[in-house]
Amino acid sequence: MSARHDPQRRRDRPAERDEERRAFREEAESLVRITAAPTIWSGHFLLCYCAVAIACAKAGAVPGWLTGGLLAASVAALAAIGWVGWRAFRQWNVTDTGDFSNPEGEAEDRHEFLGHAAFLLAIISFIGVVYVTMPLLLVEGCR
Amino acid sequence: MSRRDDSPAAAGEHADERAPRGPYPPTEAMLAEPVPPELQAAQAERLRKAWETPKGWRYWSAVNNSEVGVWYSLTAFCFMLLAGLMALMIRVQLAVPENDAISADLFNQLFTMHGSAMMFLFAVPIFEAISILILPAMLGARDMPFPRLSAYGYWSFLIGGIFVMGSILFDVAPRAGWFMYPPLATEEKGPGSDIWLLGLSFIEIASIAAAVELIVGTLKCRPPGMRVNIMPLYAWYVMVVGGMILFAFPPLIAGDFLFELERSFDWPFFDPTRGGDPMLWQHLFWIFGHPEVYIVFLPSIAIAAMIVPTVARRPIVGYSWIVLSAVGTGFLSFGLWVHHMFTTGLPNISLGFFSAASEAVVIPTGIQLFAFAATLMVGRVRVNLPMLWIAGGLAIFTAGGLTGVMLAIAPFDFQAHDSYFVVAHLHYTLFGGMVFPVIAGVYYFYPFIAKKRLSDRLGKWAFWLIFVGFNLTFLPMHLTGLLGMPRRIYAYPAGLGWDWLNLLSSTAAFVIAAGFAVFLVDLLRPKSRQPQIARNPWEAGTLEWSHDVPEEAWGARSVPYITKRYPLWDQPKLVERMDAGRYYLGDAEEGFRETMITSVIDARPLQVQRVTGPTWKTHGAAIFTGGAFIFPTFHIYWPAILCGAIAVGFIIWWLWSDTARPPEKEMKDVGLGLSLPTYASGPKSVGWWAMWITMLGDATAFASVIFGFFFYWTASPDFPPPEALDPVAWLVGLAAAAMALAWALTRAARSLNRAGRLAAARGALAVAPAATLLGAGALIFSVLHMSPTAHVYPAIMWAIMVWVVVHSGVGAIMQLYCLAGSLAGKMTPRFDADIWNVALFWHFHALSALVACAVLGLAPMVLT
Repeated sequence: MSARHDPQRRRDRPAERDEERRAFREEAESLVRITAAPTIWSGHFLLCYCAVAIACAKAGAVPGWLTGGLLAASVAALAAIGWVGWRAFRQWNVTDTGDFSNPEGEAEDRHEFLGHAAFLLAIISFIGVVYVTMPLLLVEGCR
Repeated sequence: MSRRDDSPAAAGEHADERAPRGPYPPTEAMLAEPVPPELQAAQAERLRKAWETPKGWRYWSAVNNSEVGVWYSLTAFCFMLLAGLMALMIRVQLAVPENDAISADLFNQLFTMHGSAMMFLFAVPIFEAISILILPAMLGARDMPFPRLSAYGYWSFLIGGIFVMGSILFDVAPRAGWFMYPPLATEEKGPGSDIWLLGLSFIEIASIAAAVELIVGTLKCRPPGMRVNIMPLYAWYVMVVGGMILFAFPPLIAGDFLFELERSFDWPFFDPTRGGDPMLWQHLFWIFGHPEVYIVFLPSIAIAAMIVPTVARRPIVGYSWIVLSAVGTGFLSFGLWVHHMFTTGLPNISLGFFSAASEAVVIPTGIQLFAFAATLMVGRVRVNLPMLWIAGGLAIFTAGGLTGVMLAIAPFDFQAHDSYFVVAHLHYTLFGGMVFPVIAGVYYFYPFIAKKRLSDRLGKWAFWLIFVGFNLTFLPMHLTGLLGMPRRIYAYPAGLGWDWLNLLSSTAAFVIAAGFAVFLVDLLRPKSRQPQIARNPWEAGTLEWSHDVPEEAWGARSVPYITKRYPLWDQPKLVERMDAGRYYLGDAEEGFRETMITSVIDARPLQVQRVTGPTWKTHGAAIFTGGAFIFPTFHIYWPAILCGAIAVGFIIWWLWSDTARPPEKEMKDVGLGLSLPTYASGPKSVGWWAMWITMLGDATAFASVIFGFFFYWTASPDFPPPEALDPVAWLVGLAAAAMALAWALTRAARSLNRAGRLAAARGALAVAPAATLLGAGALIFSVLHMSPTAHVYPAIMWAIMVWVVVHSGVGAIMQLYCLAGSLAGKMTPRFDADIWNVALFWHFHALSALVACAVLGLAPMVLT
């Protein structure tokens, strides 16, 4: 696997390892946490779709304030995904360990792997939100 | 997920006594200590006895994953062949212009059944079948956690499948297209649409059962040490697909529920003359229908994720990227459904959202293909037959993906909609993304399943026949479609430029059929004279290739401690130690079938799960469940209700006699000095997880019915209609209060029982069903004065009522079951899994009852 992967390096820091070990134990919920970014995408998607569908069905038009509000929601969603992604990137910790693929059956690798997966999902969710925002900017009216 | 998994103190007062004891993880010194040969032989003998497959006619009472998985796969494969024959008949009819080989009516039945059978009877079930068959071995598990649930699912599938497929022999098959659009399907005479609805609802329930089994299996039955970052990619895909099934199938079940109420009782959900809306069906169908495509695709590509590293002889490149790909696709695929409805007149801006999401899903879908390509590029590739099928599949899938990118653009779709271009596109994605990888999987896993090998020569013949035949059949259809030929027409005039294209497609369809014939011959030819195969014929790195040759029914001789993604490559002496029984559960001293339950994230050993053995109870349950679904097809209701009651009886008998019984001893030595509890309740038990997952699916279905209510409100200017009667408010309020009371009593019974206050717990459990029935009764009477056939507004109110009342019935049975368990000594303060599961059901049910009461009682005031 990664040539820079060096397990020896970790064993040199026993105090830090204990602290890390505790942190790893405390993340039993992290399997759910990797879905945070795509869940934000889903929420944003549903909000846009439902708001526009109701506006078109009930008012026959999408009022400017609604488009503005949804664009603001897009910005908020992107910011939230960005934050999730940043935290996940820190959890992956690739800049310190140089370990890109985390293939070992150890707590640290599992911890960093979940960070990596969450980070990648944040990227894809970010792109998803940008895509779904484009019709708000490019398509007008309900026709 | 629960932090409780990791901190014993949080799981109740007896947790410490039932916490795992002894060293974990095992040291190298412990693993290196040999097991005496006499002991090995005695252990093997005991295991063999516990896991013995029944002989003679009793063979069919087996529930072990290796038997049920094989039946399931073969049945799905048979349905696929039948649906393929139907396709051939369609192609014969379309070979030349103005043909009259078959009647228009039969043609309609054929294309409806071809689509329905390929999707519901082949594509989804084969995923469940293959997963049940190979997943436990990949995880070093002895069996799935609920073998009888798999068996029940299989027998339900078989009965439902034969019923639906058989209808074509009696000329009563559904004929309104595989998506059953109203009003065509609701107005259709004869039982065709009912057969589709009820037969397939029955099979959908079997699918959800399989999803529950597979999700719990992946999360809780991994071998010790197999953390989430080293589990086989196949398991990741299975988990994602299981989750997708839970959110995708329930909207269809809700749609079927409304549809059948319209067919049977004339409640006008989809009838615009009485306020209904056919678009609701389209939404519910495609909220299911699009994720369905990925439900079919992901597990097949998961097979590729197992074959590619073996061929490249190196670990997969980009493990995390593939996980991203699976999870990301799982989410995004739920934002695509309207791209099947681009021409229904929805606002353009809405189409824009779905078009955007449809383009976004291409990214994760593409990433996994690049990961496979990268693995092959950096590996030391040794091409084998399964890889040939994977390569062919990826080539075809890529072509289908590209036309998908085109069709996701709404203006292009307006042009190509309902033409043969779409037929070409969907067959390219499904053949490339599903059929080829699954056949690759059959070739790859055949030595594991049957302990024999398929022929390389015949396999190559089959591949080239199907590959060439496929492209000659479906590539021309792009052009036929662009030249304007619509789908689902049974004849066409000459001279439109379609003639030679159709003739080419029809001829080549028989080349595909020839390829399948070769494959079938290879699969079924006797192989008894074949010499014994090598244990790991492909030199793969994953755990399923530690299987025993010749076959043993015990799954894994001992459950290993895993520290690598490819344990057979990277953990020396692993197989040798497994065989010696050096690892966990290498014995069956008490003669029980057992497997290990571990924690969700890090797979630390938690419990020994006793799994159930051969039985006929599941057959009884499946047959009578079948009756409950099949009789209403012919509008015969009393026998259906009787069948339903008997099915419930069988299920209660099965649960009562064999599940969550107090064990003969609380702790058990599982080897390597580790002692594990033999019983668990609440979030530590697999049953509780299964209930949680089932109820999540159930809640999704309920949410879909509620969505229907609000859909009518948005889609129609006069909903609720001004002159309509509303539900009786005080009765709705009474129902809400009674349901809340029933919930509180159930929840209290759980705590009282745990605290040893048995009389109080039994009292609560005796009063709770009365409260439940009071609530259900109040709800019935609150809508009784409204006529459900008059307008969709009373109809949807009735539908919500029916949903809640039926669940209340189930809830009351569960309360009484716990009461009976407490009185009979099956459920005690220490062994209380039943009440934990029932309380969990009630959390969900109380919530949905309150939502229902809010809609019935408050929405009329708010919305008018």
